[in-house]
Amino acid sequence: MRRYPYYQELKALARDVRARHSLTSPRVLRSDMRRIYRGEGIRIDLWQYRLRGLRGAYFNDEFGPTVMVAAGLPSEPMIFTLGHELKHHLVDRDSAGRFCSESNRDDAIEIGAEIFAAELIFPEEDFCRQMAAMGVEQGQCAAETIVRLKHETTTTMSYAALAKRAEYLRFAPEDSLQAVKWTKLAEELYGEPLYKLLIRSRGRRHR
Amino acid sequence: MDLFEHVGARIRELRTKYAGAGISQEALAKAVGVATNTISRWETATYRPTVEDLDKLARFFGISILEFFPREEEKEDSDIAALLRAARKLDPRDLVELRRYAEFRRVRGLYGGELRGKPGRKRKVP
Repeated sequence: MRRYPYYQELKALARDVRARHSLTSPRVLRSDMRRIYRGEGIRIDLWQYRLRGLRGAYFNDEFGPTVMVAAGLPSEPMIFTLGHELKHHLVDRDSAGRFCSESNRDDAIEIGAEIFAAELIFPEEDFCRQMAAMGVEQGQCAAETIVRLKHETTTTMSYAALAKRAEYLRFAPEDSLQAVKWTKLAEELYGEPLYKLLIRSRGRRHR
Repeated sequence: MDLFEHVGARIRELRTKYAGAGISQEALAKAVGVATNTISRWETATYRPTVEDLDKLARFFGISILEFFPREEEKEDSDIAALLRAARKLDPRDLVELRRYAEFRRVRGLYGGELRGKPGRKRKVP
């Protein structure tokens, strides 16, 4: 398998899915994913039991296509995982099942699923357009830029995925965004999120 | 014996033989988070346990969910077996969960139509 054309095909497929399901912004929600899954006839099973490295699994046999995803995943990783498993349904459905964890992350099929999920949530072209609108040129993207990008677009793509893409597209030097404490930086730039303030104020009230 | 009588008998058998001395309906009910009389009604096939209930019971007894059902002479599910072989690098605890999920969906696929969420009390025809 030649990887580059394969990955390009997957990006085109992700854009096609976005168009078919009327996704117009980089803010893809769990409800959007549920709608897409319903449209594709895939059942989502939120697995209530603790999983260590396993994020999701795709099965397709005589009992129909199903995706198992860890119920405890926070919203953004869950959306990404559902996007990842959707690729297995659309492209790899002839194999009866696939699991997705740290142990097989380097497999081309798994990398392809990551690329598909990223493109499904935030297409590369839109990402580049947003960078241009923010006046960011090649090699100029700093951690603060990523936080600003996420804040302005309200995308549900994680900081880690945005950083990886910024490096891949050479907006940021290689490995320059790997050790960033994203939440801390976002709070420095935009203040604490509302839920944290509420928790604190409730704590004070109960003291 | 219909399917639910078989399942009920299996629950009773596993409960009464649990750890050699058996376990009371009350203790089992507490362990799986249901009312005591629910266990009794599952055992007498008055109520039908859901796939989720059976999964909880299977975890409690440390068995596969498939063991509640009559053993069928079916072909080994080679696709699932292949997946589980490919998943050998997984954390062993994740591998257990992956297998449980594969079995859970198999039971749901085979018996899901009969294993409804709502309890189905048997009514005597007057």
